[in-house]
Amino acid sequence: MKKLCIFILIIAGWQFLVPETGHSIPAFARKYGYNCNMCHTSFTKLNDYGQRIRDNGYQLPGQEGGEKNVFDTPPPIAIRTTTGISVYNVDKGTTTGFDIMGLDLLAAGVLHKNISFMFIYTPRIDEPAADFSGPGNGTNPSQLGALESANLVFSNIVPGALNLRVGRFEPAYHPISSKRSYYISEPYEIYTFTSPSDTLLPSNNFIFDDNQLGVEMTGHFRNGFKYGAGVVNGNGANPDNNTNKDFYLNLFQTFGKGDGQSAGQRIGAFAYYGWQPTSIPSPSDFVVAPTGEANCSCNKPFYRLGGDVSLNWKTFNLQALFMQGMDDKALNVFDTNKDYKFSGGFAELDWSGLWNNRLLASVLFNMVQPPSYDDSRTIKAYSALLRYYLGDWTAVNIALHAEFTHRETGKDDPFKENIFTALLDFDF
Amino acid sequence: MRYLYVLAGITLLLLPSFALAGDNTPTPPPATMVTTNKLGPERIGNLPPVPVPPSNPQTSQKILLGKQLYFDTRLSKDNTISCASCHSPSMGWSDAGPTSSGINKQLGGRRSPPVSNSAYNPLQFWDGRAPSLEEQAKGPIQNPIEMGNTHLVMLRTVQDIPGYADEFKHAFGESNLTIDQVADAIAAFERTVVTTDSPFDRYVKGDISALTSQEKKGLEIFNGKGHCTTCHWGGNLSDGRFHNLGAPQTGPLKEDNGRYDVTKDPQDQGKFKTPTIRDVALRAPYLHSGSDKTLEDVVEFYNKGGGKGVSSLDPMMVPLGLSKSEVKALVAFMTRAMTSLNPEVANVKPIPPSDLPK
Repeated sequence: MKKLCIFILIIAGWQFLVPETGHSIPAFARKYGYNCNMCHTSFTKLNDYGQRIRDNGYQLPGQEGGEKNVFDTPPPIAIRTTTGISVYNVDKGTTTGFDIMGLDLLAAGVLHKNISFMFIYTPRIDEPAADFSGPGNGTNPSQLGALESANLVFSNIVPGALNLRVGRFEPAYHPISSKRSYYISEPYEIYTFTSPSDTLLPSNNFIFDDNQLGVEMTGHFRNGFKYGAGVVNGNGANPDNNTNKDFYLNLFQTFGKGDGQSAGQRIGAFAYYGWQPTSIPSPSDFVVAPTGEANCSCNKPFYRLGGDVSLNWKTFNLQALFMQGMDDKALNVFDTNKDYKFSGGFAELDWSGLWNNRLLASVLFNMVQPPSYDDSRTIKAYSALLRYYLGDWTAVNIALHAEFTHRETGKDDPFKENIFTALLDFDF
Repeated sequence: MRYLYVLAGITLLLLPSFALAGDNTPTPPPATMVTTNKLGPERIGNLPPVPVPPSNPQTSQKILLGKQLYFDTRLSKDNTISCASCHSPSMGWSDAGPTSSGINKQLGGRRSPPVSNSAYNPLQFWDGRAPSLEEQAKGPIQNPIEMGNTHLVMLRTVQDIPGYADEFKHAFGESNLTIDQVADAIAAFERTVVTTDSPFDRYVKGDISALTSQEKKGLEIFNGKGHCTTCHWGGNLSDGRFHNLGAPQTGPLKEDNGRYDVTKDPQDQGKFKTPTIRDVALRAPYLHSGSDKTLEDVVEFYNKGGGKGVSSLDPMMVPLGLSKSEVKALVAFMTRAMTSLNPEVANVKPIPPSDLPK
């Protein structure tokens, strides 16, 4: 604890040493000369203006063609990393670590009027040496090397009403973005919950908030209505090993001014219908784990249905999501006579304060309710965080971040975990 | 596999329509000029050198002549109104408003835009109907509720003043006075009305003591949560473009179509040009018809996301969520930090009639 206090004091003292008007920069903000909070309520969450820029293919709304493209600007590259202390506590003891918790390499920008791109790569970060063996001899790296996003956006095919995104992207069906969540060590549990897996039996490895590979159409209208619809691989893999495509649709309506991110009130509904491989055809009808499949009846359906709401009052934002999931009985490792059904959601209350939203406070409640025969995976998690942004930097963001989560897994006599994280979030 | 074919088909169908949609997008010529001349947003900062058109180079004779014409009421029909009547140096190169008063005390429909730093505007007037300062200078002379004159009568009047005739000959080398010469001279003078030395300018140049702590907070909000630099960017803190803020219409006009009257593009309905923030504290009231009396009023207007019930509200307008202290910081920044200190402009005094050419 003493070390932690010293760490926080050092970082807090640092803000007095660095100049207040540093002007080095990053992707979008570097291009525009903006402070981060032009587009973010507080980094990382988009405000209404930032959301409209994203919806408009990373172009300023109403200014298409009037801004510089990537060939007229410095290289549109940005980096985000989080480094700090984590304290993990369970009944039997406590462990601490000083880790790099994530690293994103990002490039994005406008190629031509109404044509833009987004690229995010997350390298492996478990070891400084290049042997890539990592913890557990490479079986448990702290971050996989992955192409998180690589997509082209064709905007305003029909002005506002039809925009097309092609490639790997964060789909529109989860309007409360986990990629831009303030929480670093606590996910939106319902997004990452999957039905149980087994190495010998088919199961569903679909993760709701994974980026997807496919095509997405979106539209936004002046009356506050938005839609998103897409056809995606479902497993996000490349090359594609899922012949059957997944489909989704989401609809939102915003009331009042704003987009429901930082002003106005938004309500939405989403539906995702997918097919999960269960086997590959073979003479012996050999059952394999859910990777690889072919044109056969062995692909089994699953769906996710839900609704979300985002309410704003002054600088408070309450966002909540509820979701139901169903995996076909063929994917249920407990009982192949029953569909695996689960539900859950989360509610998050954020407040931004001080000037230019330099201070952020948030509480988050997560809940997942599996079927009764799997209630040992019931989740309840309570989280809170404080975040303070240092300095007025144009497109450089350095924040002190402290986060705590108490998680209980299981219904009766739940397994209890306490996770405290104090870190430095750095983006430029 | 059939899904892939369907997808490919949809994409192939959509891409040509996308290309066609791009080609057919109506773009009014002046807006094209704006986007061609000035891609943005650019970082806020010091003003660059004043752009001068090759057709009207700056000369000291022309600038002096332009200054005299600027303050001369004899350009108006009844010898009561000069350029300076509505664009007074002592009022931030605007007037007391809310809208301007022309000959016979007729009220104009819009707030007097500032002459200071107008040389940086790609287009002139609230609706951008003049592509240059030269063209702008010709307008008010024959506007029936401003100077109420005609170019012909005004030229006769000026030509009949021997002192002016000599000065025009000296400045342009010709004895035949033309409206283009009058406009060129006034525009040349206006290009000297540039406010380059505010506390903000000094701060940008590295003098971190030029701004108070509150003003620094205001600057941070100006370029962040306040969203001001979405439109007020670059050295002149103006994008020179047109936006519909949903500003209430006050004054003699019941309705003002703004940019639409120039382009006839329905998307331009109710749009007005972004004014500079430089010296903004000197020229209350604000917005195109002077509907907001103070800077606090303007910031609160933006804080609420602009006007109500406007279908064509600019998509960049969103509620800001500024607290009272943030509003104060923002106003503090715009009040002192953006007010010019350069005396060569701030102290421009009207030329008294007795000193004008006779």
